[in-house]
Amino acid sequence: MNGTDRQAYDRGTTVFSPDGRLYQVEYAREAVARGAPTVGVTAADGVVLAALVEDRSPLVDRREAAKLSGVEGTFGLATAGHAADARQLVDLARRTAAGERRRYGEPIDTPALSRALADHVQEDTQRGGTRPYGAALLVAGVDDRPTLIEVDPSGATETWVADAVGRGAVDAVAHLEEAYEPELTTGDALSIAIDALGAAADEVDPTDVEAATVDADGYATLSADRIATAS
Amino acid sequence: MYGDPERPRNAVQSSRSPGRHDHTPTHDQTYRLSDTKPAADDEATVAETGTTVVGLTTDDAVVLAADRRASLGGRFVTSKEVRKVEQVHPTAAVAFSGSVGHIQGFVRTLRTEATLYEDRRGHPMSVSALSTLAGNLLRTNPLRVTPVLGGVDDEGARLFGMDQGGGVLGDEYAAAGSGTQLAYGVLERRYDPDAAVESARETAAAAVATASERDTASGDGLTLATVTDQGVATDVVADPAEVAA
Repeated sequence: MNGTDRQAYDRGTTVFSPDGRLYQVEYAREAVARGAPTVGVTAADGVVLAALVEDRSPLVDRREAAKLSGVEGTFGLATAGHAADARQLVDLARRTAAGERRRYGEPIDTPALSRALADHVQEDTQRGGTRPYGAALLVAGVDDRPTLIEVDPSGATETWVADAVGRGAVDAVAHLEEAYEPELTTGDALSIAIDALGAAADEVDPTDVEAATVDADGYATLSADRIATAS
Repeated sequence: MYGDPERPRNAVQSSRSPGRHDHTPTHDQTYRLSDTKPAADDEATVAETGTTVVGLTTDDAVVLAADRRASLGGRFVTSKEVRKVEQVHPTAAVAFSGSVGHIQGFVRTLRTEATLYEDRRGHPMSVSALSTLAGNLLRTNPLRVTPVLGGVDDEGARLFGMDQGGGVLGDEYAAAGSGTQLAYGVLERRYDPDAAVESARETAAAAVATASERDTASGDGLTLATVTDQGVATDVVADPAEVAA
């Protein structure tokens, strides 16, 4: 296919190319692949999330977590890609969890929360006048057991025991395939997650890592000391 | 306003809070923890329950107390173990009288909004903000709920009495429900802003105990909650006289 033909299928998200591809969705995945890497690892009692934070300048004040967010104190979201797009999805997750609680008086579970996000993301790949979200999410929760679900810019969801999104995700997943074992302790899962970030990025300074655990006690961000110890 | 912004306006009936937009009860009987005497024609069809709820502040805590009776107009007891004090925030609780269905929806919405606020801001909402939220809910929805809201935050121990029109009045002590006047009789005589928490608990229990003696719509024991900066501790007592000194 030459350049001119391809441009015709680039114009809208709702237009398939003759070989069945949605170029705008693929470009959105590319936006995710350029974002700083984010990793999730399930352990016996919970899920560990870890993300690399890349600041443009040392002047950036980093007192607030940039890539990890809690929902209702019981779910954790880790994002990669366009930060502004991710922020919208994080708030959608919070509104969705709140709506479920208001409607049923019960908390939502991890698959339902992930599906609600994915349904919204998918709509913007099929409706005119929109562009896809340039962000992918890892949704972590503890239902009957620790659960980690990836939501990608196409609106697909997939459940993983250990996963990575963002730049170098292929290398991070390769590391996880080697290192992951069932029934990990949270500490070991944290070490594996940080190592996977190292596989994804050339050099990882522990002070550039954000990490959180999601377990029966809920969502908790980890201190810089704890991250440095596990590195 | 407090609905899910994602929810379409013509959402099916089951997806909204109970009775939110209803003035008229859809059931034959509406259970109430009553704050007012029902209109004569209501009395035959609308289930009313009488209630005495009180709240008082100490230096660093709020005590909320309520009886445990639900009734039809104070003439037939429909439940002897109603919990009329509910935690809605890490360090705040609400004691309430009114229609049971409206109360349940009101409490569910307050809790949900408080959690959403904490998710978004990274810290719990102030008790003052919580009272504004509760007042907005009452003003913009025809809820038959009269709450007393108490909590502890950076400002210290805060107590707010509310009405069905959404009025929010900060006070050191307050009462609501059909036993209001009896309870205030005790509170006016015994309230001491310098009292220790245990003494405030005794005063709250005495107010509910006194109202339970003469208000036919109040009785069947006591729910007593103590709110501090550590959280909300709730006790259930069969006889308020056990606590009232």
